[in-house]
Amino acid sequence: MPNKKENIKKIFGQILEPFALGVLALLFIIPVITVMNLTPLTQQLKKLDVLGVTTEDSVKLTLVEGKHEIFTSETLNKIDEDNYTYSVILNKRASDNYSKPIIEIENKSSEEKLLTFFGQTVTNTRSNISLILNEKSYRIQNSKGETYKPEIVIAPEQKIILFLSIENLSGIQFSEEYDMDINISPYVKRS
Amino acid sequence: MSKLLKRALKISLTPAILMIVGKFLGIIITSLIYDLEFFVENNIQGLLSIQILYPNPETTLFVNSISNISMLTLLAIPTLYFIIKTSIYQTSLQNPKTVIKMTKFNVLKWITKKDTSFLQIFIWCTFLVISSSVVVIQSIQSLSYTWTGVLAGTISLLCIWGTIRTFEIETDKIYPKENNYY
Repeated sequence: MPNKKENIKKIFGQILEPFALGVLALLFIIPVITVMNLTPLTQQLKKLDVLGVTTEDSVKLTLVEGKHEIFTSETLNKIDEDNYTYSVILNKRASDNYSKPIIEIENKSSEEKLLTFFGQTVTNTRSNISLILNEKSYRIQNSKGETYKPEIVIAPEQKIILFLSIENLSGIQFSEEYDMDINISPYVKRS
Repeated sequence: MSKLLKRALKISLTPAILMIVGKFLGIIITSLIYDLEFFVENNIQGLLSIQILYPNPETTLFVNSISNISMLTLLAIPTLYFIIKTSIYQTSLQNPKTVIKMTKFNVLKWITKKDTSFLQIFIWCTFLVISSSVVVIQSIQSLSYTWTGVLAGTISLLCIWGTIRTFEIETDKIYPKENNYY
């Protein structure tokens, strides 16, 4: 006849069994999660200078965003250190002038930087498209669909906000996508 | 608590640890040998909390593939060893030629005691199949080279076949095939 001690041991074992099953399941699940956790990812490494101080991008571009009736679905993608792409949907509109702040640009470096813009709409809607900086307009596409490559020089530590402006003499009844490439390079003064 | 559960818990510990160690060592050793720059980030994204980051996709793909192979190797070698050992042990009981061959290759101790159970083979094989599935999925997602996925799939199929064969050998002991007696 089993004694009291053995009975307690038996009951204790029965209570422990579901927990042991859980532990067994965890022994299979935890390694899988850990292996997935250890799977390497790709990310741009933060550059370190000789003193070990982290240096960020020399020119920082940030999307201003905000709601606008004509300019919607804005995206700004970084291709590499010196190249970005900006795209926006220009919605149907009446004949008028429209503008919106699109990108904030900050030159964090100690040298002047040259920003070159190139963009066009997929279809020609006879719209004049320009960039506006400090009330100065830089034409990027005219009403005939011809494109220009405006250049803007940004001084060290300077922060600017770039506006996109469209002007059309007749109403546009459909939406169109506008894509613009932005290139950053050191500014070399031409003699 | 049943003896089977206790044994299952005890056996599962080693392959579980080896799975993690294989992956981790694969990453560290590859990074050290090829002098690859990487850093570790701690961002909680769902179940994942640690991110090992490499500067470009080619390096990430290479390191992940090598670490996957290292994890598979650490699991596949013992599993195949257990399967082969059990098969030889069972064959040697019925066929004296096997004993002679074993003596020739100086691996007689494989058949002198039976220290590998079907449960052990089954658990090791399950871990191998799980890790192979992870590698195959990563290959499909282009996170690992295609050949690593193919290799993982082949090894796991081979081990499944070996495990089933071991199971047949074990059941033959309980229910012997009739044709062995006629």
